[in-house]
Amino acid sequence: MRRRTLVAMLTLALAGVAPVTAQTLRWGGDAEGGAPFVEADPNDPNKLVGFDVEIAELIARKLGRTPQFVQVQFASLDQSARRGDFDIGLSGIEDIPARRQVLAVSVPYYEFKEVLTVREADRDRYRSLADLRGRRVATLGGTIAYDLLLEAQRTYAITAVSYDDDVHPYSDLALGRVDAVVLDHVLADRAMRRTDGLVTHPEALATGYYVIITARENAELRDRVDQILRDAMRDGSLETIFRKWNVWTDDQLRLYERVANPSFEAVGSSAATSAATQVGRYLPSLLRAAALTLVLSCAAMALAVALGMAIAIGRVYGDGVTRAVLTTYVEVMRGTPVLLQLFVIYYGLASVVRLPAFLAALLGLGLNYAAYESEIYRSALTAVPRGQLEAARILGFTPLQTLRLIRAPQAFRLALAPMTNDFVALLKDSSLVSVLTVVELTKQTQIFAANIGSWLIPGLLCAALYLAMSLPLGYLARRLEHRWTLPTP
Amino acid sequence: MTPVLEARGLRLRRGAREILRGVDVRAEAGGIVALMGLSGSGKTTILRVIAGLETPDAGEVRAAKAGMVFQFHFLFEHLSAIENVMLAPTHVQRVSRGEARERAQSLLDRLGIGHRASALPKELSGGEAQRVAIARALAVDPPLLLLDEPTASLDPARRNELGEILQDLATSGRTLVMTSHDEDFVRDFATGVIILADGLVAESGLPAEVLNAPKHAATRQLLQVERSRTATR
Repeated sequence: MRRRTLVAMLTLALAGVAPVTAQTLRWGGDAEGGAPFVEADPNDPNKLVGFDVEIAELIARKLGRTPQFVQVQFASLDQSARRGDFDIGLSGIEDIPARRQVLAVSVPYYEFKEVLTVREADRDRYRSLADLRGRRVATLGGTIAYDLLLEAQRTYAITAVSYDDDVHPYSDLALGRVDAVVLDHVLADRAMRRTDGLVTHPEALATGYYVIITARENAELRDRVDQILRDAMRDGSLETIFRKWNVWTDDQLRLYERVANPSFEAVGSSAATSAATQVGRYLPSLLRAAALTLVLSCAAMALAVALGMAIAIGRVYGDGVTRAVLTTYVEVMRGTPVLLQLFVIYYGLASVVRLPAFLAALLGLGLNYAAYESEIYRSALTAVPRGQLEAARILGFTPLQTLRLIRAPQAFRLALAPMTNDFVALLKDSSLVSVLTVVELTKQTQIFAANIGSWLIPGLLCAALYLAMSLPLGYLARRLEHRWTLPTP
Repeated sequence: MTPVLEARGLRLRRGAREILRGVDVRAEAGGIVALMGLSGSGKTTILRVIAGLETPDAGEVRAAKAGMVFQFHFLFEHLSAIENVMLAPTHVQRVSRGEARERAQSLLDRLGIGHRASALPKELSGGEAQRVAIARALAVDPPLLLLDEPTASLDPARRNELGEILQDLATSGRTLVMTSHDEDFVRDFATGVIILADGLVAESGLPAEVLNAPKHAATRQLLQVERSRTATR
């Protein structure tokens, strides 16, 4: 038994590196929180289960190949397909125009409804997006639902909140951090079973379709996949799979009828928009996200500087207990990932204090960077020669005056270069707060890239914006330093 | 006449080493007292005890308010020469900035470096930095001025200028205590000398008498070492 597991693991490991033979069908999906599409089997985490898994297996079988799963983050599936990381991709992938512009996309194999979920107490108060004026509405980023919310942001003045997964929107809804969630009914149904006190309105806000994606060069494979899907619709094997996973609806029958018609044209293929229009549409939100990044970074840095100074002074002047406490703080904050700290502050503390996302992000970054700043100030304080402090003492300065007039100003000059360095690092680390639903520059770029199906233009714009923020700062710091460090005669 | 400085029976131990083993130092108003001795004989430690930077294990110090000029000056690096001199008057004595600046400028003028008032410490030569350090110490008007190796970084011409400055200060009623390796400087400008050896006073008296006719073996050894060092220079 043990030997067989070993062999299986070895085969799996080798499959990752060995050249892929024509016998395997590599299919990409995201198993992270992916039920009922793709997820690890709760009874055997080495195995995958889900309706997309079974559809992939069905397609592989019809092609005479062995299915081999490739794990790809949901937001990166399109890019990964273009790179050729897998042959076909399916993981609840939605049919949107941008996708059809850059990839070969199959016929739709499932029709879903975008539905509104609210807390039970708000059942009658919030019945549609129009009722949610001024409220926060959550969804998964880079989806039709997110576009729907962006639209509603303009028409109904709601606030769209984007998450990286489909679990936290619902848990935050239960906690009261958001007032509604819009996602497809498959996800909503699952969340309702998992979380108490939520209710989903049955009306569809929009209708969408799941499709299978392949690289453009693979159009031939796509045509074969289309044929297999049509056959599976006709002979009922798709229905069997969906029924097994409790996601069958009669809407599917109407979809299958339309797809069976040879003149069927997919929704997405019509509306194509040029890259320039896309940039024009996303640039304002990109600029807003850049402003948010800057404000967040400045506020977090201000907190880090103030707290860092206090810690440094405590460690230089404090008694044994103070020093031990502060040293522990610094070691813990430096020694654990800032991402973990952000999660703990936002989600971990949610039962004690429900911080708004921006405040949690500011606190997380500020508290973490305070540890680094304090080390800079501490070493800068100790670098001021003892003799100067003795000279001050003889002249009659109090310890506080000595710190304020003599030690701190010189320490600050020494700390300026490493501080500038840290601020630039913070500017970039602020992209981590997107895990707390704060849409800052990197996250907005990711959404932009996902929606237009290319990283090139969004990536360049994003880089230019980061540089526009960090370069002037570096220049300013160098000028200050230059003013303080006159050339030696 | 009551002494401006009277220290008796100073003892100080640092780890296993006894640096001071019972030292008396006395200086009267207008005097320039030089502490001499080989390296490690405890000269600088005595200045630090008088200044209050170190607490002796035994003995007592009765001294007027002291100013100190360190061997390496320790000017405040982020402030210009005149700001170094003004800082204590404005923040410790609460003199207005205008008045403090005026007094600082006249002190620097008197010490011959008024033209360097706006220079930063790192732009000053050793001799210039030393005079700024003297001005900084004098700015709070201490009756007693302590100088650690004031001639160490000076060439002979500068050395005589410094001697004259010190004599001026003494004439105007201030008391000076300095450490020195420089026999000629002490002979030319000090009014009294104390020879230290192994944490004790070997002998003391007028510079001319002690240095020209040393009674103690330690004094003879010290002079021999210093003379051979001067000869090889």
